[in-house]
Amino acid sequence: MSELISLRGVAVLTDGHESLCDVDLDITEGACTLVMGPSGSGKSTLLKVAAGLIPPDRGTVSLRGDDFGSLGERSLLAFRRTNGFVFQDGALWENKSIFENLALPLQVHFPELGADEIRDRVLAMLARGGLADSPSLRPAQLSGGERKIASFLRAAITGPSVVFLDEPTLSIDHTKTALITGMIRDLKAGGCTIFAVTHDPHLASLIADRLVVIDAGRIVVEGPFDAVKRDADPRVRAVLAQVLGEISSFDTDLLDLLDGGSP
Amino acid sequence: MLARLGRWAIERARGTGYAMGFLAQVVREILLFPRRRQVAFRVLVLQILFTGIEALGIVGLIALAIGAVIIVEGTTLLPRFGQSGLLHQILIVVITRELGPVLTAFVIIARSGTAIATELGNMVVSHEIEAYVSVGINPISYLAVPRVLGVTIAMVALTVYFNIFGLVGSYLVSQLVTPTPVAEYFRNLLATIQARDVLSTLVKGLVFGFIVSVVATFQGFKVKVAVTEIPRAAIKAVGQGFVLVFLADALITLITYV
Repeated sequence: MSELISLRGVAVLTDGHESLCDVDLDITEGACTLVMGPSGSGKSTLLKVAAGLIPPDRGTVSLRGDDFGSLGERSLLAFRRTNGFVFQDGALWENKSIFENLALPLQVHFPELGADEIRDRVLAMLARGGLADSPSLRPAQLSGGERKIASFLRAAITGPSVVFLDEPTLSIDHTKTALITGMIRDLKAGGCTIFAVTHDPHLASLIADRLVVIDAGRIVVEGPFDAVKRDADPRVRAVLAQVLGEISSFDTDLLDLLDGGSP
Repeated sequence: MLARLGRWAIERARGTGYAMGFLAQVVREILLFPRRRQVAFRVLVLQILFTGIEALGIVGLIALAIGAVIIVEGTTLLPRFGQSGLLHQILIVVITRELGPVLTAFVIIARSGTAIATELGNMVVSHEIEAYVSVGINPISYLAVPRVLGVTIAMVALTVYFNIFGLVGSYLVSQLVTPTPVAEYFRNLLATIQARDVLSTLVKGLVFGFIVSVVATFQGFKVKVAVTEIPRAAIKAVGQGFVLVFLADALITLITYV
């Protein structure tokens, strides 16, 4: 498997302080790379930088060897056509209906499909996400979990080959978590490259190939999931304990959590 | 003191450069708009509807009031100085050349300028702009250009509408107070109005519409992270819109009539 996205010496400044600092990372094509770290450690920023949504203040981000900043409009559009992004807060377009939220990426990237085909695809996707009764609703009329699902469906509707997921299962109930987890596993089974931020050890145990542990804007360790989760380095253990401690009982075994045990 | 002044100057220069960059992007995307896939066409139609159609009532009312006041005041005051014949000249100068485009611009700044800055600012804060970028939609092409074109088209149409209401409709209103023979009024009006008056009002409508919409979209996009920035963006859209409209008005008047 080759490197799809590479970050070299990346730094991002937010109001004078470094949200990311000297980050070197390769995202392998076809693999699932998860990022874990405490709140405010720069995970979402890392995700957005890798997706080309935030330009780094220092360093380079390259897509198959080509610097994002020097990509032409056509190359960038071709990349966007094949990727999906799920924001932590959903970021649905509030002035559009749920149907329109899902239809717009198809209208932009696949206008040749025609209105009827786009309508059929959107309705089928909504049915898959359990939102078949909500196509004409506005995002504000949905619950938090439904918004998260709608956001995921919008990212998945173009059949992406790479998805960026920012806490896809955060603050949603067990049923909806299972639904989203199932759809992520389907993407992975289809060969989709997944780069995700999560605090969910169950999701991590199901989909992760590689794990990045980040703290205070710096990568603490990065490597195969099984190796990182067994890393004995006290700093790695401390960061993971901090991350997983947020959702676990005080003395739950970290390894057990990352192996798929219940928190 | 000197250091603070220097920092202020650098910030202003940086801000101006950023604004010029935004303006260049908008102009570029306007030129490319016909060639783009027309998913933004609906946004354009909605903007014309909001800015143009929904403002017909208030613009018509202001035009009627201003026109009627000028006619009533003119027919009362001017004969005292033996200058009754100047009424039509004053009507053309005030309504067609100056107040028509300027007052229409004020209405559009107050309604659409604030609405655009607020809407776009909200979209930035709720990460909707990033969501557009993530699916490959250029926010300037999809969000700014239809609003700029919609406001500019509506502004030109509303300026013409203001002129019609100000010159024709106000005559009807003024008849309730000061009856004037209809044939005489329109004959004198047509004899007074010149091609450059019409051209001036159209150019002002076009330029003011562009200014108001570009300023409003720029201020909306300038919002960064906090909802408290949104009302400030709306206030800046109004303030800068007023100042730039006055400056452009003076410039166009100088070019046309001096």
